[in-house]
Amino acid sequence: MNAFRIALRVLRVDRRTRTSALLTAVGVTVATSLVLLLLGLPYAVDAREARTAWQQGAVTSEVAPEEAKALIKTSRDRAAGEIIERMDIALTQHGELPPPPGVDKFPGPGESLVSPALAELIDDQPASVVGERFGKVVGVIGSDGLRHDNQLFALVGQSPTGIGDANPINEFATPFGFADDELELLAGVGLVVLLVPSLVLVASAARLTATRREQRLAAFRLAGATPRQVVAMVVAELAIPTVVGVVLGVVVNPLVRWWASGVPWDGSEWYPADLATPTWLVVVAVVVLPLLVLGAAVLGLRRVVITPLGAVRSTPNKPLGAWRVLALPAALAAFWFAARSGESLAVVLIALAALIGSATVIGPWVTAVVGRGLVKSWRGPAGLLAGRRLHTDPKAAYRSSSGVVLAVFVGTMALTLLPTIEGAELAPRDPMFAASTLRTFTSAEHADDIVKQIDDRLKRYGQQERAVRLDEVVLTDSDGAEYGAVVGRCAEAAPVLGLSPQMCRNEPAVYGMPTRPKGIAAESGDQIKALPTNVPTADLPRPVALIDPELVPESVQPVSSIVAVATTDANRDPIRTAMVAGSAGNQVTSDQDLVLNGSNHLDELRRVTAIGIVIAGLLAGCSAAIATAGSVMDRRRTFGAMIAAGTQMSVLARTLRVEASLPAVIATFGAGLAGVFVGVMLLGLIDSPLELVLSPWLLAPVVVGVIVAVLAASVCGPALRRVRQEPLSDE
Amino acid sequence: MLGQEPSTVQNVLAPPAISGRRLVKNYGPHRALAGVDIDVRRGEAVAIVGPSGSGKSTLLHVLAGIVAADHGEVHLGGSRIDNLSEARRSLLRRSEFGFVFQQGMLVAELTAEENVALPMLLGGSDRGQALQAARHWLDRLGLAGRYGSFPGELSGGQAQRVAIARALAHQPSVVFADEPTGQLDSRTGAEIMNVLLEICAETQAAILVVTHDRELAARATRSVAIRDGQIESAVLTA
Repeated sequence: MNAFRIALRVLRVDRRTRTSALLTAVGVTVATSLVLLLLGLPYAVDAREARTAWQQGAVTSEVAPEEAKALIKTSRDRAAGEIIERMDIALTQHGELPPPPGVDKFPGPGESLVSPALAELIDDQPASVVGERFGKVVGVIGSDGLRHDNQLFALVGQSPTGIGDANPINEFATPFGFADDELELLAGVGLVVLLVPSLVLVASAARLTATRREQRLAAFRLAGATPRQVVAMVVAELAIPTVVGVVLGVVVNPLVRWWASGVPWDGSEWYPADLATPTWLVVVAVVVLPLLVLGAAVLGLRRVVITPLGAVRSTPNKPLGAWRVLALPAALAAFWFAARSGESLAVVLIALAALIGSATVIGPWVTAVVGRGLVKSWRGPAGLLAGRRLHTDPKAAYRSSSGVVLAVFVGTMALTLLPTIEGAELAPRDPMFAASTLRTFTSAEHADDIVKQIDDRLKRYGQQERAVRLDEVVLTDSDGAEYGAVVGRCAEAAPVLGLSPQMCRNEPAVYGMPTRPKGIAAESGDQIKALPTNVPTADLPRPVALIDPELVPESVQPVSSIVAVATTDANRDPIRTAMVAGSAGNQVTSDQDLVLNGSNHLDELRRVTAIGIVIAGLLAGCSAAIATAGSVMDRRRTFGAMIAAGTQMSVLARTLRVEASLPAVIATFGAGLAGVFVGVMLLGLIDSPLELVLSPWLLAPVVVGVIVAVLAASVCGPALRRVRQEPLSDE
Repeated sequence: MLGQEPSTVQNVLAPPAISGRRLVKNYGPHRALAGVDIDVRRGEAVAIVGPSGSGKSTLLHVLAGIVAADHGEVHLGGSRIDNLSEARRSLLRRSEFGFVFQQGMLVAELTAEENVALPMLLGGSDRGQALQAARHWLDRLGLAGRYGSFPGELSGGQAQRVAIARALAHQPSVVFADEPTGQLDSRTGAEIMNVLLEICAETQAAILVVTHDRELAARATRSVAIRDGQIESAVLTA
């Protein structure tokens, strides 16, 4: 009778072992599928990049315009609240440019190829809102050239003369191993945050039958089984659910991929195939994960010597030293130094790992202290029992809380970081234009043509607004200091700058210079031309100066210009259409757009963080519940005796709830505080100082952690009822 | 050497099946065995009696190699066994020793016949042969028809018979029984003891029985009283 046969027999006969095996398999399945998903993320980024690198436009090598096969420009646009990415291309006569993936034939001037989602959006909206930006849609870009079918992307054809300011290319950008550092960091943190609760779940499930297993193994030892055979039996017993779990994890992985592919990142969802983990990595995970689980089981078994008379702890539970209380402050201090000293991110992450690890040092100590308090203040046998349990084996009592603690820690850390970053991203930053003003940058030589094109379209769309041209120049004062300025008539510029025309003087003037201007140049470094002395000046509450064109000497020829149009919520999309189409696909943007882009990204971050925390919380709750049930089962004889002696079930259940939830609740508060501290420290790593925003939502992970702990502890009621119903004779 | 009184003339000539010399075992400050000498010959049934905490079970466990003595030696058929590795002691347990404990110590997940066959199966015996031998012993112990029953489905007496069958099926030279009737009513206990003594006499296995029960001890060939870790008296009872 080999170990494997015995394991199969035990699984077939013992219901509780089956339950334990089932939960172990579930834990391993979850861990495997999550590991495969998270390991696959960098490859998913690569897969995306392989399809869409061409959308970035030019390769790094420069091409002379007269030798270029094509001229291109890329921009980000918005319509109906969505971000549209766009590439304008004009083919020259200098050789054939191979089409990028997903494109069979380049669109000609006035034509475009669009992604399926953009085609849908164009169909759904009036032409002035979206469609006219892209000319005649002559085809759809294939999936192999897009991040996802729902990416809004257009490849718009232009003539070489009509494309305006563009980059010459001879080939499209090719994948160069672009790394999404943010996503990789999230994947790394996710691996820890999700894998630890998964493994805690596996460990809790394996512990569910520990006492019973120890009794069984003792019987085997009495019958002559060697220690090696006993270890083989444990390995075989755990190997079955572990291998089943790993296989299920691989089988379930496509479903997890399918689900995760719906979580947008970088503006688009994923193709499930993008998230596929490379086969070699699947093989490594399939081999390593069971070895990890089984290795942990064998190591755990070393702490328990199975003798023919029963299980004996090789290392008796010693009282935990008070030095443990120093672990958290020491880890916090180490993290503080790592964060403040500007060391590499790796050092900071190591310090972060040490901080997370410190919870396992201080947690049991706090549990023991709570237990000691209960032992001193007990008012009944049940309270004494709970106190003794916490006091004598605080490590085991705390173990079930570790998943919850980790989830709360990461949750509070994320909720400290996100609102603060959000506040910084979305705060007004000394803007030049009104937030809703759309503008595009162009060379001065194309500016008048663009203004005309835009105005023609605006008229056609029945819009009252008109484009304003503002040329960029540099003003100097008597000390030679340079100030950025735009050339424009005050009354025309006021609406786009978000100011009242009443502030404009009746005579040509310079606005917004802190001192009287002395000279003007087209660009910094150009020859400075003198301005008339005693030029009239006025204030301008903007970080840029404004000068009337009448005051600009003819010899100053601006090089770059801004074309801007004031918008409202009602007319923004038609105006944007007029500007994009009128500027042959130039980048058209507003401060509001920047805020919305930042907000979209923060939404993605928030979503990913929330998903991670919810999964970690669920796993942690499950493992805590299983551990609670396991601790009741372990002591079923004691509880059975107490029930037989007349102890009320409700009293026992209440005390067990306290015993199970108390360490978790206390540790949860500690984890919350540590999470805030680490969040604040991480903010210190960001170069530009941010104003700390402490949202009330910060309490949410702590509250959820407490609820999870209490709910998990509530399983002791059913477990106790089971103890009362089950005969003890089968042990 | 009170514990070394031979029961018969033949036994004087035969080498002891198992013997302990100057056995000392301490549990912290508590001395469980204080220099015990004991010989048990083949076919001899020795009852070890004494009050709780006197060291009866410890003596049994030390002789069986379950617990290591702090001082002293244990010999099986003239060969020293107390210094063997854990793996070798495990081998002895499934080849030379048989155990019957108060709780039965059966594997709850195995059937009666599998429990009995277990030591043989662990030793690498052919499955069919092991199960056949197990059935033979279950039949002898009056458990024909309960081959496929799990321990939880058996009465206390039946479970203890399975434990005896397991202890004897591989024809050990020494059977250790620690309070084998402690959880049984007196009638069932007497029956179990009869079976155990009869079969041991038949197979010439030595048997050491730890018991509180004076009546049961009286049915052994020799009774050794132990107190405070030392042998107090040895009485020939048969």
